[in-house]
Amino acid sequence: MLSVFKSIPSHMDYKGQKLAEQIFQGVILISAVIGFVYGLVIEQFGWTVYIVLAGFVVSCVLTLPPWPMYRKNPLSWQPIIPEINPEPTQKPQETLKKKKHK
Amino acid sequence: MNTVLSRANSLFAFSLSVMAALTFGCFVTTAFKDRRVPVDIHVSRVMLKNVDDFTGPRERSDLGFITFDLSPIFDWNVKQLFLYLSAEYTTKSNSLNQVVLWDKIVLRGENPKLNLRDMKSKYFFFDDGNGLRANKNITLSLSWNVVPNAGVLPLVGGSGQVSLPFPETYETTRSY
Repeated sequence: MLSVFKSIPSHMDYKGQKLAEQIFQGVILISAVIGFVYGLVIEQFGWTVYIVLAGFVVSCVLTLPPWPMYRKNPLSWQPIIPEINPEPTQKPQETLKKKKHK
Repeated sequence: MNTVLSRANSLFAFSLSVMAALTFGCFVTTAFKDRRVPVDIHVSRVMLKNVDDFTGPRERSDLGFITFDLSPIFDWNVKQLFLYLSAEYTTKSNSLNQVVLWDKIVLRGENPKLNLRDMKSKYFFFDDGNGLRANKNITLSLSWNVVPNAGVLPLVGGSGQVSLPFPETYETTRSY
């Protein structure tokens, strides 16, 4: 079952990771300030906790899945160069294997 | 922050730190508040007995009449209040005695204006020795312990007190 989850790609590029971190820190801090002021006004600390939890859920939805806005600056990898001569690298390994069997 | 798990880890740790800072802020906003409230106590009957199987204990059946209003104490940092009525007196053997006669737990959300009539003492008023007979001055005072959501637990005394003298003789049990 776990292999299904591992095969879903969840990477972001570097600028996207920075953007995601700024987004969730900002959302949680704003919800904390709103929650603190609201709890102070109505005099119940439970509402402060609920508002911060709501901010946590919102930032989970915004930053955990890899949305396309986090993949706008992909790294430019070099194109794949195919190998030209595979044989000279394989032969010494074969001779080594034969010596070990004896 | 490349995988979902590492993003979830940093998000969760950040929100826990923010929650801890908010709880500290909640404590700071109510730490220096004065939690005393005027209290009115009346006592209607006092009875004194001497029971043999314990060194000079007394039993007191005291019909009290207490009114007070505790709603200014309940703010957003108070979870419950623990009230207790204590009697304080001096005897020849001990210079200060304090005995708790009655207590009550008041939760947040219950009616804070308490008007208690005809309350009997919940616990026995035993004395360590024979010091209650003909004691001139016994002071009853109501105090409470504030249980907060975050921070210290202050012990506050109410501002009303009642002093009364105890009778000179024991109650004699009638034999038929």
